[in-house]
Amino acid sequence: MRKRIHLTTPWPTPEEWAKLYPISKESEKALRALVEEFKATHSNREDETVNSAEPEKRRKRASAA
Amino acid sequence: MPPLPDPKGVFLNIPYDEEFSSLYVAYIVGLCQLGMAPHLSSEIPGGGRRLDRIFELIQNCRYSIHDLSRVELSVAPTAVPRFNMPLELGMTIAWQRLHPGRHDWFVWESEPYRIQRSASDLNGSDAYIHNGTPEGVLRELSNAFWRDPMPSVPQMLTVYRLVESALNSIFVRNGTRNPYDRSVFRELCRLSSSLTTLFS
Repeated sequence: MRKRIHLTTPWPTPEEWAKLYPISKESEKALRALVEEFKATHSNREDETVNSAEPEKRRKRASAA
Repeated sequence: MPPLPDPKGVFLNIPYDEEFSSLYVAYIVGLCQLGMAPHLSSEIPGGGRRLDRIFELIQNCRYSIHDLSRVELSVAPTAVPRFNMPLELGMTIAWQRLHPGRHDWFVWESEPYRIQRSASDLNGSDAYIHNGTPEGVLRELSNAFWRDPMPSVPQMLTVYRLVESALNSIFVRNGTRNPYDRSVFRELCRLSSSLTTLFS
């Protein structure tokens, strides 16, 4: 079968993910730290791109903040 | 009649070998990024007949992906072809035929047109061709499923790279080098699902 399925189910909440895939408290803590690290790195990269290529967007961002 | 399947559940019928691990991680990342819940037979606790447990898992999932890209013999001196994936695909097709509307299955391959030679009875059921790459898996997942909004393939690829870079620390924490181990699988799913908001 080759058809494209339109997904309409709501996004699982963090609680649902936790129920589906239970892990230890220690692992949970370690993963949370990783996610924060990834997010920080990602937003830094995004800022670098914005700073170098889109000064107008950067100004707008700064004034919005 | 068993209970209705989980509408976001996807049974992953894949080879559990080392060479496949990057594609396995890509399947997990891609499905979680689409808000779906991947499931593996290795997730099910022991006890009972393995085939019964696999069939139960198929019944509990709304979708299944059957990766038939490992048709070649392994390099071991006692090499035999792998029949588990076609066997589980057969079980799924029978289930879907008996209960239409409760399950949809998809066949994945790495090479175009090979499925017509390896499983000619599937002619008329076009396979999703991932070319044996994580990017291909993510691309084909986006071809098979869509939601609004959904991450782009490059965005999913970024998450894939992040998750794969964390694999070693997950191994260390769980005292195993087996990516298909239940505890590793769960952590991969949790990490992938936690990164769904990376681009929102």
